[in-house]
Amino acid sequence: MITPSGLAETLLWGVANGCIYILLATGLSIIFGVMKLVNFAHGQLLMIGAYLAFTTSVILGVNSYLAILVAMVGVAIIGVAVERLTFRKVLGTEKLNEIFVSLGLIYIFENAAVLLWGNKSAQIPSSINGILSLAGISISYDRLAAIGIVVVILLSIVFLMKRTKIGLAMQATSQKSDAAKLMGINIEKVYVFTFALGAALAGAAGALYGIIFPFSPTLGALPTIKAFAIIILGGLGSIPGAVIGGLLYGIAETTAGYLLGGIWPDAIAFVLLIAVLIIKPTGLFGGKGE
Amino acid sequence: MQKKILVVITAIVVIVAITSAGVWQITQQPASSPSPTPTQTATPLASTTPSPDARPVRIGLVAGYQLAEGQDMDRAAKLAVEEINAAGGVYVAEWNTKVPIELIIADTGKDTAGETVGPITRAVVEDKVDLLIGGYTSAGTLAGQVVAIENRVPFIITGASSNLVTRRGPQGNFGGLAEDDARRINDAEGMSYMFHYCTTTSDYSTTVVNFFAETMKPLIDSTYHFAASRPLRLALIYRNDAFGKGVVADTKNLIITNNLPIEIVAERSYQTTATTFQTDLTVIKDAKPDAVYVVDFIANTAEIIKEGRKDVGLNTVYIAVECCEDPQFYTLLGEYGDGVLLESKFASYAGPPFYLPAIETYVANYKAKYNTLPGMMGADTYDAFYIAKEAIERAGTLDKAAIRDAIEQINMPQMLIMTKTGTIQFSTGVNYHEISPVTFVEQLTYNATLQEARPKIVYPSAVPVVGSIKQAEFVLPPGYQPGSP
Repeated sequence: MITPSGLAETLLWGVANGCIYILLATGLSIIFGVMKLVNFAHGQLLMIGAYLAFTTSVILGVNSYLAILVAMVGVAIIGVAVERLTFRKVLGTEKLNEIFVSLGLIYIFENAAVLLWGNKSAQIPSSINGILSLAGISISYDRLAAIGIVVVILLSIVFLMKRTKIGLAMQATSQKSDAAKLMGINIEKVYVFTFALGAALAGAAGALYGIIFPFSPTLGALPTIKAFAIIILGGLGSIPGAVIGGLLYGIAETTAGYLLGGIWPDAIAFVLLIAVLIIKPTGLFGGKGE
Repeated sequence: MQKKILVVITAIVVIVAITSAGVWQITQQPASSPSPTPTQTATPLASTTPSPDARPVRIGLVAGYQLAEGQDMDRAAKLAVEEINAAGGVYVAEWNTKVPIELIIADTGKDTAGETVGPITRAVVEDKVDLLIGGYTSAGTLAGQVVAIENRVPFIITGASSNLVTRRGPQGNFGGLAEDDARRINDAEGMSYMFHYCTTTSDYSTTVVNFFAETMKPLIDSTYHFAASRPLRLALIYRNDAFGKGVVADTKNLIITNNLPIEIVAERSYQTTATTFQTDLTVIKDAKPDAVYVVDFIANTAEIIKEGRKDVGLNTVYIAVECCEDPQFYTLLGEYGDGVLLESKFASYAGPPFYLPAIETYVANYKAKYNTLPGMMGADTYDAFYIAKEAIERAGTLDKAAIRDAIEQINMPQMLIMTKTGTIQFSTGVNYHEISPVTFVEQLTYNATLQEARPKIVYPSAVPVVGSIKQAEFVLPPGYQPGSP
């Protein structure tokens, strides 16, 4: 039975779920936009972020929302190590090399997580339990908090990209890396910062995911596929594209589940992706890159 | 330059170390002592000499180590092997000696259909196991058991609730499968090596629907002054795979066949990869059910109940199935476990005191060794090792056909899993090998000190042989909202 309140509630949940996708996809999009790097292990960074927040929150007793910061910093540091020790070595060589490095990283991250945290599902205990009910529509405070946090993070990203030296350097590198190098921009430093930033966003997405949903070491695979679908939908390398794509994907997923049943969300979301690609092959906000 | 080479070598060593520590097959020697030879561990008879051919009994454990249930099976198996070996091992008459059990681990990852054939083949072909024990998911077991069927290896299946694992051959009339169904096995002899020491989807659906008809319906009728003719409004939410669909089909069939006063008012399935269920729960809420039957494994079941209560505001009676009887389920549910029902056949949390003395000892030993309480999946596995020991001792040989015959004839007192006869016997009256386990319903109550819920058995009052097992009366959960009048 379809009811107006049920449908409204579903749309709101779609926005909340979409916000987590936005963070993951934005990180992936920034890395691709600046470094032209395809990282299939991006979802595993989300998983590591969830576990870091879990450990900080459960073992150290830190507020679950403060643990998001720890996850962001922790995953950013891991991102720096990954960029320097693996991707740096193959960047600019055959694309296949980058892809295989990222595929290898998937297994390394998953096995490392199993060794460190075990195979069992975990969930970060929320510091703000409860539901907001208004006009027959209810949503948990955690989902509302996720929406708010993602908005703050996205505004910070916009500020960083538009108003800071490193942000401008990233944009320049994204548009023409050779020209940026000639203008004195240290491309290697930009790459390290970009990868760390993308990883930190995945870490934040992981912590928010872990507050709302249970997770395990194998969490990363599906979110990675969804994040790729979102950045293709929004346009490769475009941050506004990742935001709009994430929202559309989240809403399409939950609405399909509500209207057609729980076995349809993934199929419908990918139908949306295919439709956009047929109508506009560069995605909603995609343009010609370097 | 040298520094760079050092960094690369260190990175490679770390990568190889981490990867090799993953989920590959592990072969483990019995107990804690290093590879005891038969003569070292043997307990020879006074008047005879042990045969020089004596060797350990090799038992393969089929378990998905990436699942909590698989880890529970592993712990239970190691505990049983340790106990049996500490008591001298398994007496093999043709060798005039007792030999230890050597545990061979067939790690099936997440126990999906694609993951079981390889590890079971290694255990059967390379490690030459005498017997297999385990199997968790129906899909994984149905795929992997073919190796045991073809190689004539006795397999005591301790998970996999689909009855096809024993009935898909000629003995079980091919489990009712269509003639062109690829799951049919036209190999009666091979299928005779399969033994199902576990409940089937039909077993636990019977308990669930009987509970609703006999206990819950009268309670809500009297509490809310519903007419006796009003059926109990039941909603079903299940994973869209053989397991979920099997339970739902059995539930509907039982309601119709027994003319039970239960109406299915909503039915929602979802992909096995789903992680969020609000939309399905919203549809269920709009159908105004009296109770929701959740058919999934631990993490998803806990998430469905939490989302239902926390996000959707569906304050109803939730009932979960027995594979959720695991410490992880209680941890994940937290406060949202209050009032939840759980169909089970082994209640390690509902005591002490326990309904069987054997459980008391098992729980204490398990807790002492692993610092956690055991789950249900391990209990079947633990029993199966003692069934294997008993069968080999009856057979007096490690000949696989003789072991199969001995398991067929086995008649030993029930251990951790209650049976309807009080004894462990496979399939009296039919040709396929199943046991008749007793299942029951527990209700959870939140304990603020533990920050987890704890169960008590609420249905049925008594079972054959054991007698009374009921520990508390079923109550409607706090804030319960009944369905439409």
